[in-house]
Amino acid sequence: MNGMRELGWAALLAASLMAAPAARADNLPGSRPPDPYRSRTEGIDIQCPGATDPKAVCVSIACGDGFVKMADGSDQYIFGFQDVAGIDPTVMWSYGRLGAEFPAPTIWAKEGQHLYLTLTNLGMIMRPDLFDPHTIHFHGFPNAASIFDGEPMASFGVTQNNSVTYFYDLQEPGTFMYHCHQEASEHMQMGMLGQLYILAAQDDLPDGTLLGTFTHHTGYKYVYDDGDGSTKYDVEVPLQMSSFDPHFHAADLGIQPPPFATMVDVYPMLNGRGYPDTVNPGGIMNNRNAYRSDIPNKVAQKIPALITCTQGQKVLLRISSLSTTEFNTLTAPGFPMLVVGTGAHLLRGPDKPDGTPGKNLYYLTQTITLGGGESTDVIVDTTNVPRGTYFLYTSNLNELSNDNEDYGGMMTEFVVN
Amino acid sequence: MNRERKRMWTKEAATLAVLLLGIAVGSHATILGLTGTSPNPTFNFIAKQGYISTPDGNSIYCWGYANGATGAFQLPGPTLIVNEGDTVTITLQNQISIPGPPAVPGPAVSMIFPGQQNVSASGGTAGVLTQEAPSDGTTTVTYTFVAAHPGTYTYFSGTRMELEVEMGLYGALIVRPAGFDPNVAANRRAYDDPASQYDHEYLYLLSDLDPTLHPLVEQNKLDQYDNTTFFANNWLVTGRCFPDTMADPNVGYLPSQPYNTAPLTHPGEKVLLRFIGAGHDLHPLHHHGNNALMIAKDGRLLESAPGVSGPDLAVSDFTETVAPGETIDAIWVWYGYHLGWDEYGHTLGGPGPFQPNEIYAQSTLASSIGVADTTISVPAGTGHAFLPPPRTFRAIIWGAGYANPDLDPNREVVTATRSLTNPDTFTITRAQEGTAAQAWSVGSIIADTDHGLPLPVTMPSIQNLEFGQYASGSPFLGQSGALPPLQGGFNPYNGYYYMFHSHNEKEIVNNNVFPGGMLTMMGVLPYGAPIP
Repeated sequence: MNGMRELGWAALLAASLMAAPAARADNLPGSRPPDPYRSRTEGIDIQCPGATDPKAVCVSIACGDGFVKMADGSDQYIFGFQDVAGIDPTVMWSYGRLGAEFPAPTIWAKEGQHLYLTLTNLGMIMRPDLFDPHTIHFHGFPNAASIFDGEPMASFGVTQNNSVTYFYDLQEPGTFMYHCHQEASEHMQMGMLGQLYILAAQDDLPDGTLLGTFTHHTGYKYVYDDGDGSTKYDVEVPLQMSSFDPHFHAADLGIQPPPFATMVDVYPMLNGRGYPDTVNPGGIMNNRNAYRSDIPNKVAQKIPALITCTQGQKVLLRISSLSTTEFNTLTAPGFPMLVVGTGAHLLRGPDKPDGTPGKNLYYLTQTITLGGGESTDVIVDTTNVPRGTYFLYTSNLNELSNDNEDYGGMMTEFVVN
Repeated sequence: MNRERKRMWTKEAATLAVLLLGIAVGSHATILGLTGTSPNPTFNFIAKQGYISTPDGNSIYCWGYANGATGAFQLPGPTLIVNEGDTVTITLQNQISIPGPPAVPGPAVSMIFPGQQNVSASGGTAGVLTQEAPSDGTTTVTYTFVAAHPGTYTYFSGTRMELEVEMGLYGALIVRPAGFDPNVAANRRAYDDPASQYDHEYLYLLSDLDPTLHPLVEQNKLDQYDNTTFFANNWLVTGRCFPDTMADPNVGYLPSQPYNTAPLTHPGEKVLLRFIGAGHDLHPLHHHGNNALMIAKDGRLLESAPGVSGPDLAVSDFTETVAPGETIDAIWVWYGYHLGWDEYGHTLGGPGPFQPNEIYAQSTLASSIGVADTTISVPAGTGHAFLPPPRTFRAIIWGAGYANPDLDPNREVVTATRSLTNPDTFTITRAQEGTAAQAWSVGSIIADTDHGLPLPVTMPSIQNLEFGQYASGSPFLGQSGALPPLQGGFNPYNGYYYMFHSHNEKEIVNNNVFPGGMLTMMGVLPYGAPIP
């Protein structure tokens, strides 16, 4: 039954051997000579329509395995995504080897745009025995079609050395998220998690447009198309909660069955970091070279969680959780948090049948509780917040640790200058 | 190959079934349970013991409320469905006998009804919360209450709850609003409010279970039963773990777990999801496909002025946090609007058929336009249904005499933007997608629709993909495509399927075996496909 497929592989291999690969812009110094099999490109098809669709935005992401470093210095083996925008398919495999990042590259676009999102599966360097497909699930996409939902039971996963281009007509702004849905309990625990948000079209109204009694000006930004300016913000900071179980990651690296039944997360994180790495404004270099001597280390954690603003600004916190194990509560003593959205939706009651907007249900709080797959939009008005450094941390106090190291975990700083 | 042939056959048979059994079309899924006789329904429960089956191959000793002397042990207890205003009477006896060795009588059990007021209990022995039935098999406790408010509720044992609820003594209680009629659309409601009207309803009674605790009870090692070390490894929806959730109700191989949760709907139909937290943990229940509107919590509409405002405090979300003991009613609809392509794979002017869910917003021209005009107006008060500025959208204009744009050979595709100041006025760019500008008279139809738009991307070869069991092989609703052998096959009507599942993803596992647990698949079937 696999005859066709095997014939395809054989023909491809023969063709590759006959035509020696051209010199390639391989960005990995000291890497091995090109492997003709690995320059296979026929399964990779990065679809981006260019001028034929003026609303198009194209994102090219690859997935595979890699390493990240926890705040206590330990290495964790991960599955994950990386940005491969502009990388030619002929060099994508060598470029992306063991290059997974955590969190995944942040995807953002604007309401009304057409997102062409290409996922290329590069396979697993440390686990050549695994032939896992992967997907991207655009979590929360309204009226999703199952073909682009990335939930493989209802559609498909893309197999190794192949790509698929998902298409999304972005109709609603808000804080979404994305993750691989293939064997989700494993792949998500292993780190295939990222932030995804859509900016409101209301930002682009002409200068001077009246929104009720509120006057829009060019440069104003809003979380949602609120129609009244009530979700205007100055600075946005996406924060994603997640957590790792090092035993699960070690089992995957050690070619053991995934230990679902004993999954307990002890590395609680914001944007893929435990405190104090959360407040490191730079990237964090991993240690993959220790596991594959021909692959140099890489900055695989690129998204800080430090929040900085100047007094008087309104700070939008796009908070989401992709924990695979539990609910977490974030608390922020010292500054007020106004919740204006949940589930990538303005926190407003239903519109009336005549189109009259529903009630604004915004509320001020000191705590945000999210389970996996939940998001909320919080605006912090720093007008009356004295200058200084504040902490945003989980009040699940046992999660203020990086495994055995105390004073870490799910905590970051909020600096008002 | 046999599997493939069988799959094809199943599809053909299913299609035939649609043609022959038109009676099934237009049906409305309802929740299974015991209804009793209104206005004084009486139920006779006996607490029994037995085993449930989990898909990891385990048989787990549990306790449950059984329906009368002949009713078998079951998990969860029978779903009670009564009417607003009914005087509900439930008698309870207790036949639990812990096997041991040595065999010993089980503990006393009872029933409590959160959300019901003035519950009277008589008989048995006095417990902390209510009257209890000792495990003598004969003592009868009687609980009576008036089901004063419609909504979704739960019941469970009020005795040693940390043990007895874990062991399975829980169930769902649904109170229908006054005037409820499943056969009249306007009266098919969850509450006394038209905003709670629905087409289909499904029960998500969520529970979690620690499989190491149950054998300790079974073997009479209650001294070792330590509630503080509870660590769930099986997660259930209405008594079953995926994939058993998707099996038929009352299947012979799940004799103690009668209820399934295999939801189905059509585009645009309202699905009432009744969530109940019946375990130890909170569960983030994520529904793919679209947000749902949470209209009620703990048996009360989310309304600022009860009985007056309707659910004006309802919240839209893509994941519902279901806490232990909490109930949530949410309405989920998949419209299929604005995909940016035609989900039926139709071309403009093709044979269609044009489907009801293809139009996001529609109105008529309030004044005629010539071929060069670039502004239009629609009747006052109808423009707000279209996307607000600065969004632009694709629209089709066609003649009032035609039921849909495919039938009008002069139809014109335009790009439209609503005026900033007058929502009933639009600026349009004429003659898009190869259509020609026409002069349109008053009353011509304008609609925001994706009808006829092609799929914007090319799907990879099926050899580059691995398909799941609910894949149809086609991007289009109601169409099938080639699938590799042994893939697909569970989707005979070629619907769109959406996972409804706990998003704390460790909970979609059956004790170390993935996938499983708290997971069901919602099917959006093409119009005409029957829903049982």
